[in-house]
Amino acid sequence: MSRRMCGSAEAAEPRLRRRRSRFLARLLLAAVIPVLLAAFPSSSTASHIYKIGFIASITGPGASLGEPERDVARLLQDQLTSARGVVGPDRVRHAVEILIFDDQSRADTAASLARRLINEEKVVLLVAGTLSGPSLAMVPIATEGRTPMISMASARAIIEDPQTKRARPWIFKPVPENLHSAQKQAEYLKAIGATSVCHLYENTAYGQDTFASAGAIFPAAGITIVYGDAFDRTATEFPQVARVRASGCRAVVIGSIPPAASVINVAVRERAAQVRIVHGHGACSPDLIKTAGAAAERTVMPCGKILVADQLPAGDPVKTLNLKFISDFRRFTGGREISTFAGHAFDSLQWALIALRNLPDGLSLERQRDAAREALETKVKRWAGTHGFYTLSPEDHLGWKAEEFAFVTVQGGKFLILPRDQWK
Amino acid sequence: MRRVGSGGPHPPPEEAVRTATEQAIGVRQVSSPRRSLPAGQWLGGVLVLLVIGLVLWGRRHGFGLADYLQFLVDGLQAGAIYTLVALGFVVVHRVTGIINFAQGAFVMLGPMVTITIYGRGWPLPPAVRLLLAAGLAAGLTAVVGVAVYRLAVHPARGASLLTRIMITVGAYVALQGVALLLWGPRSYVLPAFSTLQMADRTFLVGDVLFKAQSLWIWVTAGVTLALLALFFERTILGKAMRACAADRLAARLVGVRVDTMATVAFGLAAVLGAVAGIVVGPLTRPAYDMGLEIGLKGFVAAVMGGLVSFQGAVAGALLLGVLETLWAGVTLAGFKDLFAFVVLILVLLVRPHGVAGGEEEVGGS
Repeated sequence: MSRRMCGSAEAAEPRLRRRRSRFLARLLLAAVIPVLLAAFPSSSTASHIYKIGFIASITGPGASLGEPERDVARLLQDQLTSARGVVGPDRVRHAVEILIFDDQSRADTAASLARRLINEEKVVLLVAGTLSGPSLAMVPIATEGRTPMISMASARAIIEDPQTKRARPWIFKPVPENLHSAQKQAEYLKAIGATSVCHLYENTAYGQDTFASAGAIFPAAGITIVYGDAFDRTATEFPQVARVRASGCRAVVIGSIPPAASVINVAVRERAAQVRIVHGHGACSPDLIKTAGAAAERTVMPCGKILVADQLPAGDPVKTLNLKFISDFRRFTGGREISTFAGHAFDSLQWALIALRNLPDGLSLERQRDAAREALETKVKRWAGTHGFYTLSPEDHLGWKAEEFAFVTVQGGKFLILPRDQWK
Repeated sequence: MRRVGSGGPHPPPEEAVRTATEQAIGVRQVSSPRRSLPAGQWLGGVLVLLVIGLVLWGRRHGFGLADYLQFLVDGLQAGAIYTLVALGFVVVHRVTGIINFAQGAFVMLGPMVTITIYGRGWPLPPAVRLLLAAGLAAGLTAVVGVAVYRLAVHPARGASLLTRIMITVGAYVALQGVALLLWGPRSYVLPAFSTLQMADRTFLVGDVLFKAQSLWIWVTAGVTLALLALFFERTILGKAMRACAADRLAARLVGVRVDTMATVAFGLAAVLGAVAGIVVGPLTRPAYDMGLEIGLKGFVAAVMGGLVSFQGAVAGALLLGVLETLWAGVTLAGFKDLFAFVVLILVLLVRPHGVAGGEEEVGGS
């Protein structure tokens, strides 16, 4: 404002006019500043900016997940800039800067980025980790740096120490796990009376975890895995299907993500047409239908609600939030398809903002991080996110239950919600 | 080392290179049949026992005849693909002595380029468009193959054989990196040749399922083999290449340009790899990193055939495909790749000049 005044004053040639306009400018400033101060009490007193460190796998094998996540971070930065930051409990406004970094899908890069963001960039908290590997690599660094970290990856070990089974105090994540998928699958299998099933999983960390989760959940529901086997992501022949046929199981549970999930789906359909196919939530992507075609029809799977947001009952806050997020995302990216991974980034960043909104002004960085951690545990209660409702607590840093999954089927090339009374 | 020593303090360079080749890949022109013949019979016996054992083991799971026939059909389909990849290894190895690990990248480039060109939507009937795209892709991959030789391998002709083999590994990594930049990490879809759709046509013969794409693979492999045979038997270029393979020094003495032949060999290997990738494309979902595994399987098949014989490569590839599928069917399929690499180690230990390739194949047929 004042810079523009100076500019116009210099442009005026005669001395008198310059003096007069300088006087006018001072008068104007004198009048405007108190008005500004009255209107936005925070803008002049906000001494510093809150920084969020955002690390995603924008390149490398995780890029198809990390790229939309980066777009979400940019979108939210845009919205934060136009809303001029967040307002704290004492009505003090802080600008928010999201520092976006790429870990190249590598654990070592992720770890050094996290260290740099905590020690040098002085971020209040981290939203970090597209993949489980890099996330796990950052866990000890965030813990040691006493900085809250919200991961966008799925492994249980990110938020829970596998030895002590206790929540890691500094780490959170809004991402469903394979255990939740297995619970939902078990309910469905029980409902259709399939007590002996086969499990085929891709030979990756994700696939093996789906198998382990099924092994942990299914027996308690009275379901036996009569044949479980891995397949290679790039396989072209599937001798497994002969075993599926020979073992006579009524349903095949597939633990894989497209396109591998599509290829095995096609192979099972071709040679064991009567067998039901149940996917895990890794298959919840339009890619499944695009690459499996007709073979995907009538397959079922548990999915995050964002995939079928338009079919949720009217008035559901999850629906409202999702529809707005999806239209914002489309507008921002020029019409790109939404993915569940974009949803994870959205939820994670929203949690970060909730924490920042609960920080009183004038805390030291250490106290800010402490308070942000506490806010996450106490302020995220029945909060509507892209995948359903979340309630965080000191014991539960995911705060999400398998019931929040939508159970869907593929029909006419579309994902449709399959209500429980139609499970048969 | 002993051979180099016996060749005198200054062996001729070609001789040194050839010796190094043999040592690097374990090919030894064993002259005493007394040692190799029992080994061959022994291995043949082991293979027969292995098949019987696998079939019996499979009975435990309740497999019937149809299941075993299905394994055979699937195995022959995999074998035909390994054949095309293995032939690429053999062509380059025979002419240059190099094991070209960039072969896997050629296999990946074939379908990726085909998909890109096909997807451009030129105003042609889809079948013509696909054929044209496949042809252009094979041609472009040939250019890449030649470039790999002229820009990376040839400049290092003074270096040791091992160095040049490592250069081809580097070329593979570089090509895969370029593919990642061009196409990103996502998988693509190549339509099945018969339907030009994502879904292929299938038909049952008895209780055995055939895919139309398998037939395309077999026909392509057969035609390619016939064309290769014609090329090597009937054309001057082919004969010159065989001469290089038989004895590089002698070929050079009678006026064959060994470098040119090596360039042609890389181009030819690239085309073979691209064709393999294109015909297998509809069965998998091509992505930038598909070349590594298929390339290694082709290499195992080539080694089973002794690395120098076309007939050996074909037999090795079909054998590998069938045994691997049978093994994966009766044990847990998660161990499928283990089988290929155990076979590789066994072959290198027991019969380094190949299961199927006899001694007479070594040094040209």
